[in-house]
Amino acid sequence: METKVKSKVLQQFQEATETIVNAELKKWLDQGGKVMGYFCSYGPEEVITAAGMVPIRMRAIGSTGTEMADTYMSNINCSFCRNCFNMGLTGEYDFVEGLVWLNNCDHVRRIYDNWKRKVKTPLTHMMSLPKMTAEAQVEWFHDELVIFKEALEKHLGITITDKKLWDAIKLHNETRRLLKQLYELRKKDNPPITGAEALAVVVASTAMPREQFNQMLKELLGELSEAEGISDYRARLMVIGSILDDPAYIKIIEDVGGLVVTDSTCFGTRIFWTGVDEGESDPITALARYYIQDKPACPRMFDTQPKRSKYVSDMIKEFKVDGVIGERMIFCDLWTGELFMLNKDMKSTGVPFLQLDREYITAGAGQVRTRAQAFLESIGR
Amino acid sequence: MIVGGCDVGSATGKAVVMKDGEIVSYVVIPSTTKPEITARTVMEETVKKAGLTSIEDLEYIVGTGYGRLKVPFANENISEITCHARGAHWLSPTVRTVVDIGGQDCKVMSIDEKGSVLEFVMNDRCAAGTGRFFESMARVLDCGLEGISSLSVKSENPAVITSQCSVFAESEVVTLINEGIEVVDITAGVNNSVAGRLNSMVRKVGLVEDVALTGGCAKNEGLAKSLEGKLGVSVMKLPVDPQIAGAIGAALIAAEKLSKKTEAISS
Repeated sequence: METKVKSKVLQQFQEATETIVNAELKKWLDQGGKVMGYFCSYGPEEVITAAGMVPIRMRAIGSTGTEMADTYMSNINCSFCRNCFNMGLTGEYDFVEGLVWLNNCDHVRRIYDNWKRKVKTPLTHMMSLPKMTAEAQVEWFHDELVIFKEALEKHLGITITDKKLWDAIKLHNETRRLLKQLYELRKKDNPPITGAEALAVVVASTAMPREQFNQMLKELLGELSEAEGISDYRARLMVIGSILDDPAYIKIIEDVGGLVVTDSTCFGTRIFWTGVDEGESDPITALARYYIQDKPACPRMFDTQPKRSKYVSDMIKEFKVDGVIGERMIFCDLWTGELFMLNKDMKSTGVPFLQLDREYITAGAGQVRTRAQAFLESIGR
Repeated sequence: MIVGGCDVGSATGKAVVMKDGEIVSYVVIPSTTKPEITARTVMEETVKKAGLTSIEDLEYIVGTGYGRLKVPFANENISEITCHARGAHWLSPTVRTVVDIGGQDCKVMSIDEKGSVLEFVMNDRCAAGTGRFFESMARVLDCGLEGISSLSVKSENPAVITSQCSVFAESEVVTLINEGIEVVDITAGVNNSVAGRLNSMVRKVGLVEDVALTGGCAKNEGLAKSLEGKLGVSVMKLPVDPQIAGAIGAALIAAEKLSKKTEAISS
């Protein structure tokens, strides 16, 4: 299944998911623009934008192996980390001016440990992300954001003013609002866009100069608002999990008739469902509060499961979801625990649930297809 | 009403012809590297055995198994998970837990009183608990697949094989052989190791009786015995070759689809 709209921008978004340096990013680089990568949905893109650089979420799409990374990392590090670090070692991220990590999980920390020694990236920075979400941790992350801002100022020889930060916050909030509008369209009985296509849009939102992205997404929203919807599906599905940035994976599920209408992933709603409060007294506090308290939390934050559980159940109602697919990357301890809890939630509310284990690079399409097809058959669709 | 089910697995192709709810014929052949050819060969042989002239004599055909997208003559394809559940349920309506051990995967389904799948778990990421695992053990032990079954039931002192990874398990078996452990005891150890894997999968979906084994490895009596020991319940013996349960399920679904189609046309 696919959208009935022949959209040039959608095609550009889809192309952007297949490479690290997409056409828009290349234009920016060719003009002498600087790019900084961040490793997780807690990476403060606004600060990078305020520093005059384009923030990109680190991905490893197109990686063909991990043999270089495997020299330094263990085979119980997740496949995202090994593939991503491998790309660092083979020079595919040589174009970035800097990289920022957070200690979001132990696997990603191992990329940092190795990267700063083995890859010549001009600026590497590690931020300490608290585990709790109370007021004290907002203050803590506030300080971390100041340290990060100062590191960028020093490295680039610039001053990042509050105005620049507010402008960046507004720009990224606009991206979030537009993405949410896209998802609103997916609530329809006949959504105008598939899950694989929508994922391409969200991935592109983390990979392009944002002004350009926002313009393009506005155009796409215009095209989709009048479009004929998709009706040839067997069931409406929600996907829940972590770093899922490959539309081809969703396409396998959709090819057997399961239309993905929404998600809770970190290349999905969890990065745009809420925005930064533009009414806060200062921009750094606004950002700290957003990342620690307001953003839908990752399972690595303590005591956030009940809130996420409600987030999921609300979404199931809003998007009229027939079944939930929970996916985790093999060796991801955070999502192993989370999916165990999610499974219990789904059982108690009677929502059909399927758990899929996967590697970062989509392989074994047949195995995913068999499970997805059996899942749809078992929910009688 | 005459229908067919064609189950193109990783190791074998199975086909069943059913007429008015009864099995007329079935055939099992080894899979080739071309799923289309496996499908056509096994279906044609089954059709001939049923006294028909060609595949076109069948009114509706459902394809299943790993090669289900490559059954050119099938009206549609259904996952092997659904088909094994339906097949096992039809063979023994009291079955609520189906353990299917195929060539390259094993899966456990919990099913309802109608034979519909409630929940399933599947291992196809590694060779643990699959036909491939038994094949490699049989090669190391030089006892043939049959030997894994027939020898293991004679063991009074099964060897312990801790690894569930077939590569590591093979190394363990080689160590046991060189320590002079009897092949009989090692085969029992091999079955215990697979049964252990299946035990945890069964408990994941929830153990509900009756439990039935399907798939090629269901013919391994030593495995069934070991699984019974671990589950603490008896594992039921299906009235026909357990290897064709998936193809039977496919044929049953074919009959269902056909009658729905006929109803739709006549109404």
